[in-house]
Amino acid sequence: MAHLARTKTGRPTAETLWIGIGIVVAYGVVPFAGSDYLLDAVLTPFLVLALAAVGLNVLTGYAGQVSLGSAAFLAVGAYAAYNLHLRVPGLPLLLDLVLAGGIAAAIGIVFGLPSLRLRGFYLAVSTLAAQFFVQWALTKFGWFSNDNPSGVIDAPVLRIGSVSFTTAAERYVFSLTIVVVLTLLTLLLLRSQSGRNFIAVRDHEIAAKVVGVPLLRTKLLAFGMSSFLIGVAGVLWAFAYLRTVEPAGFNLDRSFQILFIIIIGGLASLRGSFIGAAFIVVFPLLLSRIGAALLGRVFDSGVLEMSQHIVIGALIIVFLIAEPRGLIALWDRAWSAVRPARRPTIPT
Amino acid sequence: MSGIATGAGVLRLEEGPPAEPIHQSTRERDSATQRRTARVAQTLASPALGLAKISLTFGGVAALRDVDLEVARGEIRAVIGPNGAGKSSLLNIVSGLYRPDRGQVQFGEHSFDQVPTARLAAHGVARTFQNLALFKGLSVFDNVQMGLAHRVRAGFLRQIMGSPLARRIEEENRAAAKEVIGFLHLDDVQDCFAGTLPYGVQKRVELARALVARPKLLLLDEPFAGVTLAEKQELSQHVRNARDSLGATIVLIEHDIGIVMELSDRVAVLDYGRKIADGTPDQIRADPAVIDAYLGVAHEDDTELAV
Repeated sequence: MAHLARTKTGRPTAETLWIGIGIVVAYGVVPFAGSDYLLDAVLTPFLVLALAAVGLNVLTGYAGQVSLGSAAFLAVGAYAAYNLHLRVPGLPLLLDLVLAGGIAAAIGIVFGLPSLRLRGFYLAVSTLAAQFFVQWALTKFGWFSNDNPSGVIDAPVLRIGSVSFTTAAERYVFSLTIVVVLTLLTLLLLRSQSGRNFIAVRDHEIAAKVVGVPLLRTKLLAFGMSSFLIGVAGVLWAFAYLRTVEPAGFNLDRSFQILFIIIIGGLASLRGSFIGAAFIVVFPLLLSRIGAALLGRVFDSGVLEMSQHIVIGALIIVFLIAEPRGLIALWDRAWSAVRPARRPTIPT
Repeated sequence: MSGIATGAGVLRLEEGPPAEPIHQSTRERDSATQRRTARVAQTLASPALGLAKISLTFGGVAALRDVDLEVARGEIRAVIGPNGAGKSSLLNIVSGLYRPDRGQVQFGEHSFDQVPTARLAAHGVARTFQNLALFKGLSVFDNVQMGLAHRVRAGFLRQIMGSPLARRIEEENRAAAKEVIGFLHLDDVQDCFAGTLPYGVQKRVELARALVARPKLLLLDEPFAGVTLAEKQELSQHVRNARDSLGATIVLIEHDIGIVMELSDRVAVLDYGRKIADGTPDQIRADPAVIDAYLGVAHEDDTELAV
């Protein structure tokens, strides 16, 4: 497509090449070389959180609508997919995934309606309603968890046709495929007129209205698209990563975690979503390993964990002071230091 | 005469190469022909823009009182007056951002109590803002292309999948944006973020965004404020070209009296929300009321609050 071609000529193909190499390694090397621990406890949650961050970035980074309800849409996706699987016999998994995302999108659009009147902090507070309402509804009505007294659901085995994804490596590959496909589709959306409309609404709503951007449709599309992506991420979180989930797992902390990912990674950057997710998932693990190795004999594990939180918090502050546009801006700066000839282009 | 020029979608600038007509589908061309015929008929009947008895108050303060304004097709119409006289309020009413307490706004044959801003571009009206209103996170090219946002009829799924309709619209819009960018000499900066450019260049980008849709009516809110003398001369040439080559009718708010008198066909003067004079530049220059209210006192270094 013409608009893709232009961006490619503006940006050296080196970057496209790197993304290609990354995908090849992710498919060809990692599933065979990675340990079960790495695949199951690090890479799969990284992919799922990255997809959720891509979803939130569409809404907050690109369209400028702040949301604190991400975890609610993760929960909606997870529980919708579970119930569809349970109550519609023979429903293919991929269709289940899309429908669950669709249900999350529908609920996202409903909770996006206040965005027509509210902005900034006020909108953020109104999206909190989604957070609390969804968690309350899932706990209150046993039907959603098939009347399991603790509200916990056990995810079914991932199966497409006769192929089932049971081992850690297989579930990783399944998640990877969904995440890659949806990220590419999101990229296409962001590079279309709809994507430009998002940024126009974010940067100058009145000017956007004057040039004929349909504000209502654009904002609701952002909410719908974002909730769809986060909903699918919720399905992966439940089915591919944890395999047994409860409403309490989708609390406000999770919403904040996703928000921090996009702030640390870089707003309005899809690459930033991945870098931010990697940081949030991997960094605490690294820190706890290092802490345990160095100071494990001196302090007990409770103290270590506490100091871990403090170190991460402090690092985030230092970092955002040094580079408010997130890790991706640091990355780009380093990259252009290596290759100064790069022409200025729009990052994605 | 001017009505016929409006229909011809051709851009020309003396030093530049002759631009190609924008790409149009047969269907659009047919409807364009119809519109043109209709417009020629209207040229005699209705003005491009008519304001009738517009009044606007903010709380107890009357910003505009019974203002009438008629803008003929193809003319450059300036609105001047001291700060706080209600000039920007007038443009905001015309673009539907404010709703007048009383009065009517008329575009051609359409008459409104409040102009629907969302349909403004579809009615062939474009505007620039007193303080820049660019989309800082988009490139110059994308900013200009945003001026055609109202033309994109394909839904988001079609845009993602690149359906023939979505691609055709995208290509048409890109071609139109490219043409205007060439016209306003923005080629060198078209890949830069709009927010990173010097002020005068940003003003030009905003003009390009307004011109890309070939508006029938172009509203310019202080297009020359804060730019250098050389840029002023270049910009005023572009404004004149927008009328001469694109056939746009232009309403111009400006403090620089020199440029106003040189550029405009007729001038309306506002003071304290009332229209105190209306006529050709020569008539205005000689009008004692205007000299009292405005010309006699220098206000040019002041700026007003944002929209």
